[in-house]
Amino acid sequence: MTTAEATLERAEERHWSAARLASAAAMAAWAALFWWLLATGRSFLYLSDRTDWVVPMGAIILTVAVAGRLWSARGPRPEPLKRSDAWRLGGIVLPVVLTVALPPASLGSYAAGRRSSFVSSGYTSTAADIESGQLSLVDVAGALRSREAMQALVNRAGQEVSFVGFVARDSGMPADEFMLSRFLVSCCVADALSIQVRVVGAPPGELAEDDWVRVTGAFYPLGREVIVDASEVEPVPRPKRPYLNP
Amino acid sequence: MAQVAVRGPRDASWANAGMVLAALGGIALLMQLLDPGRVAEVQNFLLVFSSLLIEAVPFVLLGAVVSAAIEVFVPNRLFERLTDLPRPLQLPAAAMTGFAFPVCECGSVPVARRLAAKGLTPAAAVTFMLAAPILNPVVIASTFVAYRGRDTLWPMVLGRAGLGLVTAVAVGWVVANKSKAELLRPRPGDHDHDHGDATRGTAFFGHLAGDFLFMGRYLVLGAVVAAALQTFVPQSVIGSVAGTPVVALVAMMALAFVLSLCSESDAFVAASFVQFGPGAQLAFLVFGPMVDTKLGFLYSATFTRGFFRTVVVAVGAVTLAGTLWIEVLVG
Repeated sequence: MTTAEATLERAEERHWSAARLASAAAMAAWAALFWWLLATGRSFLYLSDRTDWVVPMGAIILTVAVAGRLWSARGPRPEPLKRSDAWRLGGIVLPVVLTVALPPASLGSYAAGRRSSFVSSGYTSTAADIESGQLSLVDVAGALRSREAMQALVNRAGQEVSFVGFVARDSGMPADEFMLSRFLVSCCVADALSIQVRVVGAPPGELAEDDWVRVTGAFYPLGREVIVDASEVEPVPRPKRPYLNP
Repeated sequence: MAQVAVRGPRDASWANAGMVLAALGGIALLMQLLDPGRVAEVQNFLLVFSSLLIEAVPFVLLGAVVSAAIEVFVPNRLFERLTDLPRPLQLPAAAMTGFAFPVCECGSVPVARRLAAKGLTPAAAVTFMLAAPILNPVVIASTFVAYRGRDTLWPMVLGRAGLGLVTAVAVGWVVANKSKAELLRPRPGDHDHDHGDATRGTAFFGHLAGDFLFMGRYLVLGAVVAAALQTFVPQSVIGSVAGTPVVALVAMMALAFVLSLCSESDAFVAASFVQFGPGAQLAFLVFGPMVDTKLGFLYSATFTRGFFRTVVVAVGAVTLAGTLWIEVLVG
């Protein structure tokens, strides 16, 4: 081998770069999270129906980015993984670990108490929606927003409703009352707005906070509140999609 | 983290990766043993933290894709031509470009940085960055849907777009005398993205990974702060000032800062604050996409010290003045 050939061979020698492989691994962790959310259906614990398309989009683009990073992970010289860079990448992967390790959960009574001042939202039912058909918690939110919608709800006072939500209690509430609560999520949990109705006539001592129940009974709008006089309170599992969507 | 065999400092790389993997494994084990979800505050924090990231990461990634594509595939001369525009037109033109960029605020930061690095005037890049999350068609449509059926529909939709444009141009004007070196924070690794072997494909994926991981770590920090504020500061604290002029506007801007919502969803939340007038709701909708907790971290990572303060003051002042006028006109 001549000197020129040896020089050329050295120039063409390719080294796996530890730094590039580590960055590919960090992105792969996020790609895996998005595929996992897609496979388990847990994206609905974090996002609304409107925005859950970001999960497959994130999964696909991240997978392509990981493949591209691996494809380009060999360079003309070794690039070691520095300790500081390793910790930075660890910080990026940490949310993946926390999300996967947290048992499936949705916002509950703690959040309902912190967000309860603003019960109406901009995409709820109108008076026309409320006038007929089965009433939902979204209709209640709509009624609390506009006078016309509230009048439409008042016109149906005394009719039987069936709402699914979780139990939340205000301090000082009688034992046979609770607030049936549900969150309305537009994009992600960060923008959740609570909808609550007061349930009276519930069996005392049988329900704990955050238990999911189906309440059936007659409803009565009263001022800025809707009251359901329960004829039946039935425990139910948390719905697959715990948040209401626009 | 790296499963790698390299020459030289191979052992150090393995040791560093192993240490971080062990730490992450330890945290996962602790989560399983302690089940922190049993504590309502911790569960609330983790849910908000994860949801902010799950929603924002794909957009940051999209921003990194666009940024890398600009770096690798768009010739510098294109930006030089843009800088040939008469100066008074540059900033409005940059803001109007936002109409064609349907990505919320997390995605626009890496793109703006890349545009400035490629030769667009820094002021125009900043104007684009601030305007795009408000002027893009998805955000305009979501604002329309959120206020549909209300008397204030058009004041809110047009007011948001108009005031957003004016505010973005105003901030661009404020930073117009700053050079690229004065405005952009030098980033470690800016000049060593896979150099020496850069085919276009290699360079593209190198820039993509570099931008995504760099912005990603600041996004994580921003999400930590935003989730903590959402968990421990009840929204009702601002309800008491709803009827107080000026204070209500400032309170809604503060709330937008704390909540760190995506600009594509914030109109639905703003519309729910029925006890606040249209001016205060508009303040929330204009201020939030330009200044919030997670953006604070992204700006600090991207721009030099003082930039975030400048943006807070300039955006706050213009938003306040603009929404006061709108309150007078339609309130």
